[in-house]
Amino acid sequence: MPEQKVVIDVGDGAAIPTKKDHGLLSAWRIAFFGAVLVLLYLVIVHPDPYWNLLKFIRDGVVVTFEVTFASIGLALVLGLFTGLGRVSHNRFINLAASTYVEVVRGIPLLVQLFYIYYALGQFVRVPDMLAAIIAMSFCYGAYMGEVVRAGIEAIDKGQREASVSLGFNEVQTMRYVILPQALRTILPPVGNEFIALLKDTSLVSILAVSDLLRRGREFASESFAYFETYTLIAVVYLIITLILSKLVGTMEERMGNHVRH
Amino acid sequence: MYDTEAIIRISNVNKSFGRLKALDNVSLNVYPGEKVVIIGPSGSGKSTLLRTINKLETVDSGQIIVDGFDLYDPAIDINRVRMELGMVFQSFNLFPHKTVLQNLTLAPIKLRHIKREEAEHTALELLKKVGIAAKLNSYPTQLSGGQKQRVAIARALAMNPKIMLFDEPTSALDPEMIGEVLDVMISLAKEGTTMVVVTHEMGFAREVGDRVIFMDEGKILEEGPPEHFFQNPEHPRLRKFLEQIL
Repeated sequence: MPEQKVVIDVGDGAAIPTKKDHGLLSAWRIAFFGAVLVLLYLVIVHPDPYWNLLKFIRDGVVVTFEVTFASIGLALVLGLFTGLGRVSHNRFINLAASTYVEVVRGIPLLVQLFYIYYALGQFVRVPDMLAAIIAMSFCYGAYMGEVVRAGIEAIDKGQREASVSLGFNEVQTMRYVILPQALRTILPPVGNEFIALLKDTSLVSILAVSDLLRRGREFASESFAYFETYTLIAVVYLIITLILSKLVGTMEERMGNHVRH
Repeated sequence: MYDTEAIIRISNVNKSFGRLKALDNVSLNVYPGEKVVIIGPSGSGKSTLLRTINKLETVDSGQIIVDGFDLYDPAIDINRVRMELGMVFQSFNLFPHKTVLQNLTLAPIKLRHIKREEAEHTALELLKKVGIAAKLNSYPTQLSGGQKQRVAIARALAMNPKIMLFDEPTSALDPEMIGEVLDVMISLAKEGTTMVVVTHEMGFAREVGDRVIFMDEGKILEEGPPEHFFQNPEHPRLRKFLEQIL
C-alpha cells in the first residue's frame, strides 16, 4: 500500500513556513518581527496619529474576523457537499456541483460581491454584514469544494474496495473510511484557504461593512492622513496573516507526524 | 464428491477491458467447504474472475449466483451478499486511520449491529488466532507486511463470512513473511471454510486445494485435484507454466 504523504497544492492564502523550509522560515521571522517592530515604533514614537488610528480600527479587526470565521464555516459546509457532488456517480448531482464550481471560479470575487449586494439587493434587502458573509461563503464554497474533491480522490482506491467488500454501501464507505482519511489531507489547504479568505474580506469594505480596511478609509477621509493610515492597515493585515500562516504550518507538521506515526 | 448445491455458480461469464478479453466464457461452481485455488500467468484473468464473485468487477454477460443470490438481479442488495464474502487483497487495504482492533470491529458493529464489547471480544479471539493479539492497539503503518495481511484476514473473518476470497494474498510480501500468512490460511482451510484463492504459491495449492484451476487468456484451460494437476498436467500451456515456475 502506498503510504507517502499526499500534498495538495492549491494554496493562495500565504506561503506556509515549515521547519524543513529554512529559507521561508527565516523570511517569516524577518517579516513578522519586522512588522511588529514597525508597529511598536510607530505607535510609541508617533502616538498621534498611530495610537489613535489603532484604537479607531480596533472594531474593524473584530469585524474582519467575524466575517472570516462565519464565511469559512459556511464555506466548509458548502465545500463538503460540493466536493462530494464532484465525485458523485449521480450525473445530475455531479453536474450541479461542477457547474457551481465553474461559474463561481469564473467570476471575480469583487463582481460576485457587487452582484449579491447591489444586483440582488434590488429584490431582497439583506443586512450588509449578512450579504458580505453570503457572498464570501458562496465564492469560497467552490474553492473549498475543489479542495475536498482533491482530498477524496487522493485516497487509494483499495480503501473503497476493502470497505464495500465488507458490506458497507457507498455512503457508509464515504463516512467511515474515505472522509476521515481525506480530512487529514485537506486540513493544510483548508488552513490556506482560510488565510486567503481573511485577506479577501478586505473587499467587503466596499459594501458598507465596517471591516479593518473600511475603518481605515473612514479615518483617512477625515484626517487626510493617507500614508499613515494605509501603512498601519498593511502592517496589521501582515501581522495577522503571518500569525495564521505559522499556525497552519505548525498544524501541517503535526498532521504529518500523525500520519507517519 | 459434493452432494450439496454449489454456493458459487459462475455461468458463461464474459468481460472485456477495451479490446482485452479478460474473461472468455468462464463457468465455475464452488461447493460449501471446498478450497479452490486458481493459478495462471499474470493477465490471465484469474484476479478478475475472483473479483466478479463479490461484484468488485461487473461482467458484460453471463450469470453469477452466490449463496442463492443472483448478483445481477436488481432486486437483491449487493451489500448483504458482500457481508457473507470475506475478501483479502494483495495490497492489504487496512484502514490506516483505525487501530488494528478498530479495523476488525468497524464492520461488525456498524453492519451486524453487534455490541462493542462483544465485537472487541471476537476481534481479540481472531487476532490471537492469527498470532497478532499484542498489536491490537497499533496502527497499520506500525506493522510489517506479513502482520498487515494477517490483520486483513482477521478483519474479513470478523464478519463471520460464508466464503473467503483471497486475491494474491502473498504477492506483495517479502519472502520471509509469506510463510506466516500461508500458515494462517492453512489453519483456516482445516476448519472447513469455503475458500477461493488466487495465488502463485504452488506449495499452498498442492497442500490445501481440493481443486486447482489453471487460467490463461481469460479461459479455464484445466482443472482437477492437485495430485493429478501437478503430476500429469495435460494442457501444453499448463505444462509450460509449471516448468517456468517450479
